[in-house]
Amino acid sequence: MDILNALVALANFVIVPGLAYGAQLAIGALGVTLIYGILRFSNFAHGDTMAFGTAMTIIATNMLLAIGITFGPLPTALLALPFGIGMTILLVLGIDWLVYKFYRDQKAKPVILVIVSMGVMFVMNGVVRFIIGVNDIRFADGERFIITARDFKTMTGLNEGLAIKTTQAITVVVAVIVVAILFWFLNKTRTGKSMRAFSDNEDLALLSGINPDWVVKVTWMIVAALATTAGVLYGLDKSFKAFTYFQLLLPIFAAAIVGGLGNPIGAIAGGFVIAFSEVTITYAWKKVLVYLMPESLEPDGLVQLLSTDYKFAVSFAILIIVLLFKPTGLFKGQSV
Amino acid sequence: MSDNPYQDDRGNKDRSITNKGGSSLETVDQRFGNSKALINDPFLIGDAMTGGYGKGPDILHSCTIAAEKGEIAVIVGPNGAGKSTAMKAVFGMLNVNEGAVRLDGEDITHLTPQQRVVKGMGFVPQTSNIFTSMTVEENLEMGAFIRRDDFRDTMAQIYDLFPILKDKRNQAAGELSGGQRQQVAVGRALMTQPKVLMLDEPTAGVSPIVMDELFDRIIEVARTGIPILMVEQNARQALEIADKAYVLVQGRNAHTGTGKELLADPEVRRSFLGG
Repeated sequence: MDILNALVALANFVIVPGLAYGAQLAIGALGVTLIYGILRFSNFAHGDTMAFGTAMTIIATNMLLAIGITFGPLPTALLALPFGIGMTILLVLGIDWLVYKFYRDQKAKPVILVIVSMGVMFVMNGVVRFIIGVNDIRFADGERFIITARDFKTMTGLNEGLAIKTTQAITVVVAVIVVAILFWFLNKTRTGKSMRAFSDNEDLALLSGINPDWVVKVTWMIVAALATTAGVLYGLDKSFKAFTYFQLLLPIFAAAIVGGLGNPIGAIAGGFVIAFSEVTITYAWKKVLVYLMPESLEPDGLVQLLSTDYKFAVSFAILIIVLLFKPTGLFKGQSV
Repeated sequence: MSDNPYQDDRGNKDRSITNKGGSSLETVDQRFGNSKALINDPFLIGDAMTGGYGKGPDILHSCTIAAEKGEIAVIVGPNGAGKSTAMKAVFGMLNVNEGAVRLDGEDITHLTPQQRVVKGMGFVPQTSNIFTSMTVEENLEMGAFIRRDDFRDTMAQIYDLFPILKDKRNQAAGELSGGQRQQVAVGRALMTQPKVLMLDEPTAGVSPIVMDELFDRIIEVARTGIPILMVEQNARQALEIADKAYVLVQGRNAHTGTGKELLADPEVRRSFLGG
């Protein structure tokens, strides 16, 4: 019984939140890794692309709610998501045409593009705040829980409850669908294969007649869709705040680099590695240990390795360790 | 190349491979398609080419390279003689200031390399000539990217030509041995059903046994009727299989003849073949 209680506590506070957070990071990291693989630079504006997409989705959600449309038990934001994705696609294609295209034509070094993307990041940062403001915005509606802690307790008779939020379940389901579609696209379609070829050997791809402009456009469109989806899922699960999304850049980059930049499978694995490291290291383990240890050994403190305020230190530490010992990441990726 | 502060050297470290107008594949300029077919002109000819990379000095000086239908033409010569440069000039990777390049009687001197691929030239670069992270089959598919028709027949022909590739069709091309990679590279170039195939040192860096096998395969490709123009380091073996051979020295034609003639030429033997 004690072991079961410990497991339920673990699932409630570590596994379920970790899975949801990992899925959000994974979708974000997929966007970063695609840009790195195909356009060959680290896109620092990715966090703010997510923020822009989410802001657009929030606006569309409010409009839908204003005319009385909801998605029943599911969050209305899911209905508004295609609008957010569309607006983000327009934005990134516009920025690419206005900014990145110039440097691409110059065949600029990646490091120059990275700095350029930081400039874009600051501009987008301001634009998003200008549009939606700097406050915390909660936009999740519909059913809050699939199963609440109390229901779980009465159902099983255990001391510990397991709560699963609707948004957590949606996050995981949407992530699986998104990843499946992305991999089908990259591995089975003509355009997807040409994107991989372009990422592998640009000159040979050009020689084979692959149109670089089209590859770049499709990449931006996919990245905009991924960024918006990741942003909306994160915002539904927690809340939307422009500054938080800017900060998400670090765990997302850590995920992409840990997995191996340019490698989509690596981005997904990296997302979960970072998410679970953050959650396990900042979790107060007392609750689980109480059930597992004999009474005499029960811990006095919270057994929390790091305060949650330091959670970014975790991704940063992992990032540095990976860069020191395995610069190409866990999966075969490009070195930074 | 390096005077542009923005420049990056990615891909196969040879920017000239895509020369100017990288993305203009759809707009093959028809102005240059004036068909002033010359009688007795070889199928592919780089006629009295003079030129060099970018704004640099001329490397080729009135150099002529030609390939006839069903023949293997090889370019040999000492290091730095401009062998690869001559081939790249034929493929449009550098500026030909004087002279002309004609394919099947058509002047293609001002087309970009990609436009020449559309016109029916297949080119296998010396290095980075495959997509390492993609499977063998995907490499071949990418080779056929400009084709909108059904290319399964062509793929089957290539698998007949290189049986080992059929066994390894689902393996990543980067995991293959050097000789197998070269077969993938040649196969990729053949997927467009080119009218002429150009190989830049196909046997560089492979063992002598693999080299012999590659030469056998190249002869087989030539037997299917595709003229082959190739640059070779291994002068003796190359001359043995060559129908036509060009010895270049300092960007100029030094000796021209059939492979056998040049092998028998005492001067060629003394200067390039070690006696």
